Amino acid sequence: MKVIKIDKAQFADGYKALQKVYKLFGPVKEKAFYNFKELVDGRQADLSFQNTRLSPKSIVFPQSEDMFTYTLDEASKDANQLKPVPEKNESRAVIGIRPCDAKAISLVRMNFDTQEYKDPYWLNLFNATTFVGLACDSPCQSCFCTTAGCGPYHEDGLDILLSDQTDHFLAKELTDKGAKLMKAAGWKTKATAGLEDKKKTAESKITAKISTDNLSGADTLALYNANFWEDASFACINCGTCTFVCPTCWCFDIQDEVHAKNGKRMRNWDSCMFPIFTVHTTGHNPRETKLHRVRQRFMHKLKYFVDKYEKGIMCVGCGRCVSQCPVNIDIRKISELMNKQASKNICAVQK
Amino acid sequence: MITYSNKIKEIAKRLLKECRAEMVIGFRKGSIPMMNEPCFVRTDEQADDLVWDSHCGINLANYLTSRDEKIAIVAKGCDSRNIVNHIVENKINREQLYIIGVPCQGMVDKRKILAQTEGEVLQITETENGQITVKSANGEKTFSKSDVIQQNCSVCIQPNPVLYDEMVADPVQGQTDIDQFADVRALEAMSTEEKRAYFDELLAPCIRCYACRNACPLCYCPTCFVDESKPQWLGKSQDIMDIKTFHFLRAYHCAGRCTDCGACERACPVGINMRILTKKLNKDCLDLYDWQAGMSIDKRPALDVYQTNDPEKFIK
Amino acid sequence: MKNLLELMGVEPDRIHFSWISSAESTKFVQVVNEIAEKVKALGPNRHFVKQEAKVA
Repeated sequence: MKVIKIDKAQFADGYKALQKVYKLFGPVKEKAFYNFKELVDGRQADLSFQNTRLSPKSIVFPQSEDMFTYTLDEASKDANQLKPVPEKNESRAVIGIRPCDAKAISLVRMNFDTQEYKDPYWLNLFNATTFVGLACDSPCQSCFCTTAGCGPYHEDGLDILLSDQTDHFLAKELTDKGAKLMKAAGWKTKATAGLEDKKKTAESKITAKISTDNLSGADTLALYNANFWEDASFACINCGTCTFVCPTCWCFDIQDEVHAKNGKRMRNWDSCMFPIFTVHTTGHNPRETKLHRVRQRFMHKLKYFVDKYEKGIMCVGCGRCVSQCPVNIDIRKISELMNKQASKNICAVQK
Repeated sequence: MITYSNKIKEIAKRLLKECRAEMVIGFRKGSIPMMNEPCFVRTDEQADDLVWDSHCGINLANYLTSRDEKIAIVAKGCDSRNIVNHIVENKINREQLYIIGVPCQGMVDKRKILAQTEGEVLQITETENGQITVKSANGEKTFSKSDVIQQNCSVCIQPNPVLYDEMVADPVQGQTDIDQFADVRALEAMSTEEKRAYFDELLAPCIRCYACRNACPLCYCPTCFVDESKPQWLGKSQDIMDIKTFHFLRAYHCAGRCTDCGACERACPVGINMRILTKKLNKDCLDLYDWQAGMSIDKRPALDVYQTNDPEKFIK
Repeated sequence: MKNLLELMGVEPDRIHFSWISSAESTKFVQVVNEIAEKVKALGPNRHFVKQEAKVA
């Protein structure tokens, strides 16, 4: 694993070179906050950001995405046939993705890239994308990545990890994809120093914690039936903010839209917070109340996922849901409640 | 503010003890700066969690819809107007409620503080004389509260509850001679093209999380028109026309009912001021019918009644 | 209704309200002609029309 030194003065040239080969995405400031956007017309990523409002998951999993199109127009030679949308496989690179968001993409991958089923839309975009991470030296107060199986210098899901060293960046090449990008940018000065010191400093700055140690062994039904859910879910207004800003939420809804004789099938982000998410065609809704829905969100992230994949929780500690929830429902608090309940080690049948 | 909190705790405990209420709905201290969490308490011990400060902007009337318990609820001016709406619209009975009135001095706009603070906000404190001190990663800064309250609070005409059983303090001085609708008039004065461009830009960041709709106490339909699938009124994608249709139609559903409590704008994760739409309708209701929503449980809403002097200039 | 549509950027002349009794055929013709003329003057409506959804 090579570490390369990039002088900040060289950065702009590298950008120019990259823009010839890659479609670039990066954090840019819009009015009041940062978001990941396509960098067009030579625009540079603004790496002074702390965290973006929305996660960069939309780069590989757009909020709305066409799946295929069709026409019922008999005059057309393609009448009544499904036409796949052109594959989006031009090379893309995300500059400045945070390690937590990159780790989130590798968690989401467990869902979209399995033995039995491979989601072509997600995988096309994922495979075409090189992830250039930016280590996090000034984490937010609401960040709890180090206890969520992640960290400010975490490398999982990244092709390159950049670390800001005031006048230059240190870039750690993590994969072949990453090496290819470094070559295309023309960055090749070997560095003498490593990233370790700054990594330790950054990790020590993260004070917020999430407690999850008892969850994997806990009895699922006992957690499900725990009596704190009514209190914990009371404030929830069942908007989709937490799920839409979350880098690890992957649910979507499939919709057909028809315009005159042409139609398309698309998929849009959906949210387990919405009542309509689980309504059956009979009209019956198995998750009828907000208690059901709030419980589902946290049980999925902190229990079902943990048990199914044995890869820890489905949360990377980015803190977005904590800071954006309009009614201050805090995953750290809920996890604490769940973990405490789990420590009692009761199982539902004994209750 | 501490006196408010203490008084609220005291009243809550008394009501629970006397069985006047099964639960008390209020706020408890949030886990991050400038946020409090709506909660309910049923016991003495829980009642100690109740707080009141300048971060209680969420409208608690939202939590009353179709509940059947006897409830005591903490209510500032706008909350009380929405409670009136709920009573008028048969979403809760007056007899079920014990309203703990809070004279409101305005709610802090989190966005205004964040926009004017360098570095992450770590702590925020308020003094009795209206000074707000923000401790951030980069130092300390003091604001005058009137500069950082929500825009709807700065044009609020009803800071004191219109309906209550008990007040936690003496009423505050209401504002007179304020221009509630300067922003609406500025928009009205634009050309058709400019108006379109204004809304294109305003609504572009929308992610359709529906936080505005769900934070609103008026939006209690079991199935919202955007969720309806038989027939489906609206596409669900990020197509800008669908986004606009959602916002415009949502506003229409609030005509003659909106109290401009600001919950929608406050809840929005991407900072859209969708209040401009409901404010336009509020302005029209005031101009055309001399109507402001939620001021009295004895009056039927403007769009609910016919009067012979209703303006009909729009009919040819 | 008309006021908010106008605020959203729909030209006021696209929306008309009228009371016409079933016996007032002359008024009906007159109103329809007037509306048609006004809308023709504005040209086809290109805004607030849902085309095929454009997404990523």
